[in-house]
Amino acid sequence: MAATLKAFWNSPVGPKTTHFWGPVANWGFVVAGLADTQKPTDMISENMTGAMCIYSLLFMRFAYMVKPRNYLLFGVHASNECVQLYQLQRWVNFRMSSHDCT
Amino acid sequence: MASKLTAFWNHPAGPKTIHFWAPTFKWGISIANVADFSKPPEKLSYPQQLAVTATGVVWSRYSQVITPKNWNLFSVNVAMAATGIYQLSRKIRQDYMSVPEAPLNKV
Repeated sequence: MAATLKAFWNSPVGPKTTHFWGPVANWGFVVAGLADTQKPTDMISENMTGAMCIYSLLFMRFAYMVKPRNYLLFGVHASNECVQLYQLQRWVNFRMSSHDCT
Repeated sequence: MASKLTAFWNHPAGPKTIHFWAPTFKWGISIANVADFSKPPEKLSYPQQLAVTATGVVWSRYSQVITPKNWNLFSVNVAMAATGIYQLSRKIRQDYMSVPEAPLNKV
């Protein structure tokens, strides 16, 4: 256990490096997205959500190709992709159902 | 001129690689946020704008440490931090610094 922790602490993508804190900052998008799933649909910004969907897709690839390869970054963008796609479909359904009322 | 273009085209962080397109598309987030400057502050999300600002700040540093060094990524994250800070200031000003009117859609 101690050896694993030590390996993590000293890892080239560990908490002593910015390769760690970059992805940590990006978890903010996931947490914000999850918090926003509980808000009414008219609070969703289609601009930001749409941009995030494309952004996280591209950064999943970036995380794989960058040196050092960054699985933490890959994981956070895969998660964000899911959250943002969920928010996007909430917004699309909301807009489509409000058009049906005419 | 032609050799400069060739150098750019063949650069390890150039347009044949994800190192170019991922940061280039990240401008979309700042552009989306600028489009949202016209949205009323009560429609803005504190968690989302905090995430945008924090990401911009941390990634400005990250872009200088990875291989290859990525100025495109640096500049886009500086812009993200700037739009995030501005949006936060708009919402904070409305929520905490303005004369309260009849609340419309407080979150």
